[in-house]
Amino acid sequence: MKKIKRNRGITDLKSRYGYLFTTHWIIGIVIFFALPLVQSIIYSFSKADVVAGGIKITFMGLDNYKQILFEDPNYEKWLKGSITSYLYSLPIIILLSMTLALILNQKFKGRLFFRALYFLPVIISTGAVINLIFKTTGSDMSDVGVSDALSANMISVDDIIKLFNINGAVAKYITSTISKIFDLVWSCGIQIVLFLAGLQSVPSSFFEASKIEGATKWEEFWFITFPMLSRVTLLVTVFTMVELITSERTTLIKNVYSMMRTGNYDESSAMMWFYFLICGGIMGIIVFLYNRFLMKRWE
Amino acid sequence: MKSIISTFSNFNSRNAQVLSKKSASILFSVFRLVVLLSIGFIIIYPLFYTIVTSLQSKYAFLNSTRVWIPTEFAIAENYKAAFDAMEYVKSLWSTFKNEIISATIEIASCAIAAYGLARFDFKLKKLYTAILFLTILVPEMLILIPRMLNYSHLDLFGILGLVNKVTGVDLRPNILNTVAAFWLPSIFGVGLRSGILIYIYIQFFKGLPYELEEAAWVDGAGPLKTFLAIALPSSGVVILTVTVFSMIWHWNDSLLSSMYLNQDFPLATQISRLPQTLGSKYHIILSARDPQGIGYLMAGCVLFIVPMLIIYMIIQRWFIESIDRVGITG
Repeated sequence: MKKIKRNRGITDLKSRYGYLFTTHWIIGIVIFFALPLVQSIIYSFSKADVVAGGIKITFMGLDNYKQILFEDPNYEKWLKGSITSYLYSLPIIILLSMTLALILNQKFKGRLFFRALYFLPVIISTGAVINLIFKTTGSDMSDVGVSDALSANMISVDDIIKLFNINGAVAKYITSTISKIFDLVWSCGIQIVLFLAGLQSVPSSFFEASKIEGATKWEEFWFITFPMLSRVTLLVTVFTMVELITSERTTLIKNVYSMMRTGNYDESSAMMWFYFLICGGIMGIIVFLYNRFLMKRWE
Repeated sequence: MKSIISTFSNFNSRNAQVLSKKSASILFSVFRLVVLLSIGFIIIYPLFYTIVTSLQSKYAFLNSTRVWIPTEFAIAENYKAAFDAMEYVKSLWSTFKNEIISATIEIASCAIAAYGLARFDFKLKKLYTAILFLTILVPEMLILIPRMLNYSHLDLFGILGLVNKVTGVDLRPNILNTVAAFWLPSIFGVGLRSGILIYIYIQFFKGLPYELEEAAWVDGAGPLKTFLAIALPSSGVVILTVTVFSMIWHWNDSLLSSMYLNQDFPLATQISRLPQTLGSKYHIILSARDPQGIGYLMAGCVLFIVPMLIIYMIIQRWFIESIDRVGITG
């Protein structure tokens, strides 16, 4: 009897310590996260005027949303462009960073050098500087400029596609991937780091067992590595989605920024919320499908 | 070809298998090297181009035989122009004071919150974890504007606002344009991308063995002492990873600083507005076709990257090794 009581005492104490360690964080969440989040929802439903000593809010209902969806000529265009580029970059970034992490996880000569090289985008690619560099060096191939010099040296992609007799939609996907290759590779930095960290948690005894059973490399990947990475893959997917959605290189975000700088808070909030709701919906569907069809299979 | 086949057929089957395995592995190594080198080229090319461009004058662009090796040097001119336009020393100080210090604070406060979430069981833990995921998912810019407006008269839980309404005295401080705008969220563990940092910490803390901590408990150490003396000393790897991420994100942050400050900008803001500054200062228009001023611009980029590159070169050895030991399980 006594023992049970004492045990509960320790759990009580421990749970109190749990609260103790997170007090500052939860206060911060309320002041710096929850409050502004609610305020930004309110802005999107009202007319917000900047006045001396703050902001004056008049409730307008759905007016802002009506305005951006039905009257603004640009919003739909921005929205479509941003969402297409997001849906299209996501699988490439994940596959590419997973492949690179798998390669960099192997033991070979020069591994340290290549790792140092592949982590370089981590320190540079998150900032404004990369936009400048890409624009000027022509790595952003949507601009025709210096890139002429580079692409002149390359074999024409169209010729290769003709050679393999690939059909239209796939060919288009391949050509646009190649024209955005700099952007895509440079977005893989942190994902490679996360995948590499995840790969370390796969116990090597699994591979030894599979080797004894005579598994091929492919079976090893598909039945051991990939399932063991499933949670990291989910983390990387969510992280990449957030990065892509909020990237300053997206047309929508770029334009909304310039609207915010001029003091237009209500419409820009509505634009962002609508955009993030759609992106969040897509994200939810992807995560749900992933859990349903991939995670379930392994559990 | 025939002779090769005949040599092959002379082997007994076991030898042939070993040989084909060996050749397959050599083929794979070559393939791996090709993949690594070609993607490595994509990474190195923009950087190399930036450095080469930053070294030469506008006349070099007229010389079509120049591709990789710089000609017509104008190092001093380019770097001096960029240095002046960015107000380099002042901006560097501003970066240190606003960004680097708040990164340091963030690393510590996130560790504390993550320790609480990872090592103790409590009723609201599930809710807290859900909130943590929400902070990762909600983009910073969505809450940036209201946050900025709140900063102009900071109010903790409406108490000061109430005082203002009752007595008419406005005690609410304006923390825009001060370091507090950057430090305060970091102190509370909700700074720049704190969510993902806390998540990485939690993943690591969960993997620590409980035995050591329990021994410390039995010996009468309090929770704070257990955290400081047991948990932290064995988390060097994860602290290094988090430090690298936090420092990089803060160094590169031009969004928050351009909203919270209206003078003495840090380097990241200076670099993002460098084309405009250069344009108004030297009366040039920057475009991809017009080489005038590109040397200045790229010199600015190099000046921005170099401090980080130097630090990266010093710590990359430990950083690369630490990745092997963080072990995120998701």
